[in-house]
Amino acid sequence: MTTANRVPVVQGLFAETPNGPRLLGSKCATCGTPYFPKSSACHNPDCQDPRVEDAQFGPRGKLWSYVVQFYPPPPPVKYDEPFVPYAVGAVDLPGGLRVLGRMSVDDVKKIKIGMDVDLVIERLCGDKDGNEVTTWKFRLV
Amino acid sequence: MRDVAVLGVGMHPFGKFEDKSVTDLCRAATSRALKDAGIQWRDIQAITAASSRFSGGKGWGLNGNDVMEDMGPTGAPVYNMSAGCAAGGNAFNVGYSLVAGGVYDIVLVVGGEKMPKGFIQTSGIADETDPEYLRQVCVGVPGPAFWAMLCLRRMSNFGTTEEQLAKVAVKAHQVAQHNGNARFRQLFSVEDVLKSKPVSWPLRLYEICPVSDGAAAAVLCSGDIARKYTTKPVWVASSAVATANFHDGLPRNLSTIIPPGHSQHTEASNAVKKAFEKAGLGPRDVNFVELQDNTVYYELAFPEEWGFCQPGESDKLVEQGETLPTGKLPINPSGGFLCFGEATTAMGVFQVCELTWQLRGEAGARQVPNAKVGLAQTLGLGLNATAAILKR
Repeated sequence: MTTANRVPVVQGLFAETPNGPRLLGSKCATCGTPYFPKSSACHNPDCQDPRVEDAQFGPRGKLWSYVVQFYPPPPPVKYDEPFVPYAVGAVDLPGGLRVLGRMSVDDVKKIKIGMDVDLVIERLCGDKDGNEVTTWKFRLV
Repeated sequence: MRDVAVLGVGMHPFGKFEDKSVTDLCRAATSRALKDAGIQWRDIQAITAASSRFSGGKGWGLNGNDVMEDMGPTGAPVYNMSAGCAAGGNAFNVGYSLVAGGVYDIVLVVGGEKMPKGFIQTSGIADETDPEYLRQVCVGVPGPAFWAMLCLRRMSNFGTTEEQLAKVAVKAHQVAQHNGNARFRQLFSVEDVLKSKPVSWPLRLYEICPVSDGAAAAVLCSGDIARKYTTKPVWVASSAVATANFHDGLPRNLSTIIPPGHSQHTEASNAVKKAFEKAGLGPRDVNFVELQDNTVYYELAFPEEWGFCQPGESDKLVEQGETLPTGKLPINPSGGFLCFGEATTAMGVFQVCELTWQLRGEAGARQVPNAKVGLAQTLGLGLNATAAILKR
């Protein structure tokens, strides 16, 4: 048995760092506005001196809200066949960022608004070359 | 600024029309609006049209030009407005502004759309710099899933129940049964709605507006001209366009910024607030509202966010039947997006039709008694929103 290659769904959005999984974004050094994915500019209309620099976000956050997607969405949404309903959370992270991500749970009924969650990098689906396509998800603490 | 009146309105019924083009639908709506106004096609001095993404317009959003060519070129100028699902409201605002500013005396506002089946999709191009593409490919959040997250947060904040959500849909069908232009006119019970399939839980199939084909048109004119044609004109008290604030907390893309206060559609509240200010009116002066109910959630959240009632109070208003045409705060007496389905770029003009019929007292069994002032609101991709207040 060989282990399937792990391929990120999109390059440059997340990474396994020595401190654990992180989202790769930006932060404005002047006004503190966080961005994910990376932004080349600060979009705060009141920022007097936009200066964006690289920033990492995660791992611990709080679940602001979520949804259980029962109906398979059209492409380019990715999932393994047969389709299994999945949950998506909107998670508030330190640094002022609210980010969307799939929920990594065995039973969606365990999810409650306000729960602490941790960022993980996990399988999104397989691709036609036998690779494992990965994305960021949130796991209940 | 001059007084502006809605002289005539017309609609093509909403549904799925495989054998008709969007231009056919717009022609029907335009012809009805002209007849209703009592004028001829040649009397139209300019057209403001909603640019469609999904149909007609030669791939450039030239939907007003399609109408012009189909009705017969007269040399009149055409303005095509692109604003996502707010395009119809945007076209109305530009038509209104042109008449109010004295540029033209009679303007046709038109919006029509034929929609592809199913969830509204991304551009179809795998562009990793496109936030909408990233949101779908990395996470998978179709439109109804975005609405569902807002809805579940509301349920957590205020204790709104699934039964209360279902009651909004029941109410929509109760009024739509009396509207010949509506696509879905059958009556539902709360149990029927709760038994419909969960699409993006907590939202179910009957709680989400589907996509439809449809078209609507309105003839706007100056006050002087209106008085020549009718003794009972419907007036445009105000028309406003707005976009969202930087900090509003809605996760429209992969991420957003946690706002200092309540997370809400600021594009919609900005447009409505502006419309109130321009008209010199407030929520207490409005007899009924046509708002963009892509889902039942918006019928609960928007009236609170716009000052019609206290945060969390909408649930009770729906329970007590106060959002019916005969209630204290009638909402979507047309049946709304839930019962028409969304022909995206037509919707702002569709609302103007319903407001006009209500204000004239021509709405039959769904009539809001003694309706004097009505508010219409749309919102669309790109942080767009519009609002208009009509009065008699």
